[in-house]
Parts: sequence; C-alpha cells; structure tokens
Amino acid sequence: MRRLLLLSPLVLALALGSCDDKTKPAQTGPGGEVKTPASPQPGPPTPDDPPSDGGAEQPSSEPIPPAPGPPAQPPSPPAPSPATFAHEPAGAIPAGQGSGYLDRTVWSPAMCWPLQDDAFANSQVYGHGGGKGPAGTGQCDQANYSLPWRDTFCEARSRDNPLCAGGGTGHQGQDIRPAACKKNQYWAVAAETGVITDIGSYTVTLTASAAPHRVYRYLHMQMAALAVKEGDTVAAGQKLGKVSNDFGGTPTTIHLHFELRAGAAGATTDGKPVVLHTFLPPYMSLAEAYQRKLNGGTCGG
Amino acid sequence: MRLATGLVLGGILAAGALGAALSQTRIDPTTGAAAPTPTRRPGLAVLNRAPPRGGQVDWKAAIGGLRQTGGTNPAPNLNPAAVDMTRVPILLPTDADLTAGARIYSFGDYYTITADAPGAGVSLSGTTAVVPLPADTPLKITPMGPEGATSQRTVDGQLISFVRYGVLYTVEVRCDAPTDPRCADDNYARGLAAKTTAVVMGAAARAAAGLGG
Repeated sequence: MRRLLLLSPLVLALALGSCDDKTKPAQTGPGGEVKTPASPQPGPPTPDDPPSDGGAEQPSSEPIPPAPGPPAQPPSPPAPSPATFAHEPAGAIPAGQGSGYLDRTVWSPAMCWPLQDDAFANSQVYGHGGGKGPAGTGQCDQANYSLPWRDTFCEARSRDNPLCAGGGTGHQGQDIRPAACKKNQYWAVAAETGVITDIGSYTVTLTASAAPHRVYRYLHMQMAALAVKEGDTVAAGQKLGKVSNDFGGTPTTIHLHFELRAGAAGATTDGKPVVLHTFLPPYMSLAEAYQRKLNGGTCGG
Repeated sequence: MRLATGLVLGGILAAGALGAALSQTRIDPTTGAAAPTPTRRPGLAVLNRAPPRGGQVDWKAAIGGLRQTGGTNPAPNLNPAAVDMTRVPILLPTDADLTAGARIYSFGDYYTITADAPGAGVSLSGTTAVVPLPADTPLKITPMGPEGATSQRTVDGQLISFVRYGVLYTVEVRCDAPTDPRCADDNYARGLAAKTTAVVMGAAARAAAGLGG
C-alpha cells in the first residue's frame, strides 16, 4: 500500500474506498439447494508457513507451445484507461512469455475489485520465484509486490484459450498477488452478486445472477477455511476466502488466479461461427474495478 | 484443435441432435442488457438450421427431445422450484449415479447443475445469453458437427460446449488430482456430453414451449 501511494501521487488525493465488508451469513441460492458445507467457517488465523517458491501452475511435464507470431488483434486503438495507478496496457506481455490479447473490452464493467485490499497483478509463473521466473529469485521479492500491474491473460501456458494467438493456448485468467507475501491473510471477495455454484479442491466458482451470467473462478484460496459453501447466495464484495497457494498438492506461489468466463459468440479463423462458453480477458475489468476502489467507490458504483 | 477428437465429439453429439440454431440472446457486455440483433457475420448461417428468432429457444426441437426422453425426469431430486423457473430446456446425462445427488441453480435464462463424482466434479449448464466477441479477433478453435461442439482444457479439467435447441450448453469436468485421466484429455467429458440427452422442462419452459404449465 505505501509503495502504491508513492508511485501514484494522484491517488493520495483520493480516499481509499473498499467494497462493502459484507461478511453476511450465507443464504441459500435462488431455487438452489444447499449441500453439505464444503468448508468450515473461517477459524482463527493460522500460523504462517514460510512461503515456498513455486509457480507450477504450468506443470513442468507439459511443454508450452512455441511462442506464436504477432497476434491478430483488433486494429482499432484502445480506449484510454481511466486508471491512475501504474499498470501496463492490456495484452502487454514481455517477449518470450506469449502474445497478449489486446482486446480492451471491459467485459465486466460494474464488477467489484475481487480482493478486499490492494494487490499486485503480475505473472506468478514468469515473475520472481515462479516456475519459469529468473533464476535465484523468490516469490516474496519486492519485484512481485510492486507496480506496475501486468496482464497475464494469454501468457504462454499449455491450457486452451481460443482467444490467444498462435495455437489457441494460453493463460485463462489473471494472476493477482495479495498486498503482501503472506498466505491465508487477505480476503478475496465476490466480483458480482451471484451464487456459489461449485467448489473444487482449489477452485471456487461464482455465477453471477445478472445476465449474461458471467462465471468467475477463484483459484488457490485457503480452501479449508472458506467463508462460503456451495449454494450460497453472495453479494458483490462479500468475503469468499483468503488468498493462499492451495493447488491440490502442486506447488504454486501465493496468488489468486482470477478467471472470467461467459457464453460467447464469435467466429473461427476460417470464418465459421462458433458459440461457446469460454474465457474472457479480465484485466481491463480488474483495472477499472480497482480504480473505483481507489476512488472510494463501492462495488459497481 | 484436436481435429480427430472434435470429429468424434461432433459425430456423437450430432446423433442425438435435432438441429442447432444460434438464436441466443446477445448481451451487451457493458450494460448486461439484451443487445439489438447484430448484423450476422458471413458464415453464421452455416449453423443456423432454423432462422434466428431473437433469443428464442427452438421449442419445437426441444419438445421433440422431451418426447424422446419419455417424459421421465432422470433427476427427480433436483429442486423443483429451480427447475420450474428455468426458461430453457434442461439437459441431463443419462447417468443415474451422477445425477442422483445433483443440485440445480437457476437464474431463469441460465441454469447450472453441479454433480459430484469421486475425486471430481461435473457442471452442466444451459443459457440463451451470450456476449458477442470482437469480429476481428478470430477464435483458435474448431467447432465440430451440427451442434458446433468445442472442447477446451481448463486448469483443472475439460470444458465442452455445444448448441442444441438454440441454447448454449456446457459440460464441464474438474478433477481434484492433476493426474486424473478424466481431466487429462477430453474423452471422459465428451463421453458425458454424448449421453447428455435427457430433456427436462419445468413450468416456465413448458409455458414458453406452449405445453402449458
């Protein structure tokens, strides 16, 4: 936080607002059923383990496809971002780390900043301490907890992402490090009002109540102490769980993998129409939501 | 992507299909409201077996699917209130073990059903709401068959999408263990999609289909 204010003097004049602290009792979803709670209620703070370096969200057993050529991207100039904090443009991914998706569409224009506190959006794989990061670095290095933000959508990974240049593989969301290199301390909150429709071993899925029913997936929270369970109706800004490094036993850094999906209609490279549920770039939506937070706005306000 | 897989998937899905119609409600991503019907891109008609009807479900085809299902509900445990408020045909797999404990969450024009399998989870959803992607950014994916089936590998599983009765349906499998073969490739997910053929309609869907409440 202190670092952020130093880097963004304009922000000093702005009251730091936050999403409403809505740790409301969980409710049953609209017409939904409540299954056995997946997690206990949050308990007292657990002792902090020493954070281990990692970044294996990209498994070493799965090669990343060769870097594609220059991506085919929208030719229209991007709309200027209203953000006043330091952040790289959408799609600006360093050389050798994939080709970013340059779309500037704010796919979730009223969403809540999905963390209660400030945070740092950057690569947990290619950053310090990451599985493909610089040698001899650690995940808690200051470089990872400094501005500017960096877009990681379409960063080179092995999983499918039809929006990414090249072979249609790339990172499916945005990596966000919490305010400090400590796990199980910083809350992730609901990006929109909706229902918790699924909880996996390291994933929480929030489906928005309002059309187009965006689906937000939160990965790597402290799953043993979630504040929600499947079937809960949550309000935008309501606490979901704490950012951690849970990954089903696979090592990874302390970060939130934030994914935005929706039903989408487009065309393939050979002009065929396609309708599918797929990943949308969350970076611009996150930047705008964070700016609203810096401006003292409430979620969606 | 995965041409051979896609061909198999498309073929399987096509066998149970009554024709795909891309008639989803287009949503303005900025406002979340239904957007005016955009000018259709060249080639869009390829998947249009029926004329687009402004976000309407192809109820005639869906009723055909309902009749093929035999009027039985393969998941009677689903919350009837949620089923009744769902304004699209609900698709379920013919897999009693999977659907026995399934839960449905409905928003009217969107539903999702969550089911458990040992060491894995399955989500089945249907919606008429889609957002248009930038026309000048082509998707690196190959839709297969008359239902335009696609397969995507996620961080923790597989995601199958297809269009039936004018509705975008998805079958998603996620695995607890990264080495789980059900998620390592799309065989399990597409197999599940292939048997997702049972049609259930609650009160809202029946009314919209002209079947009465």
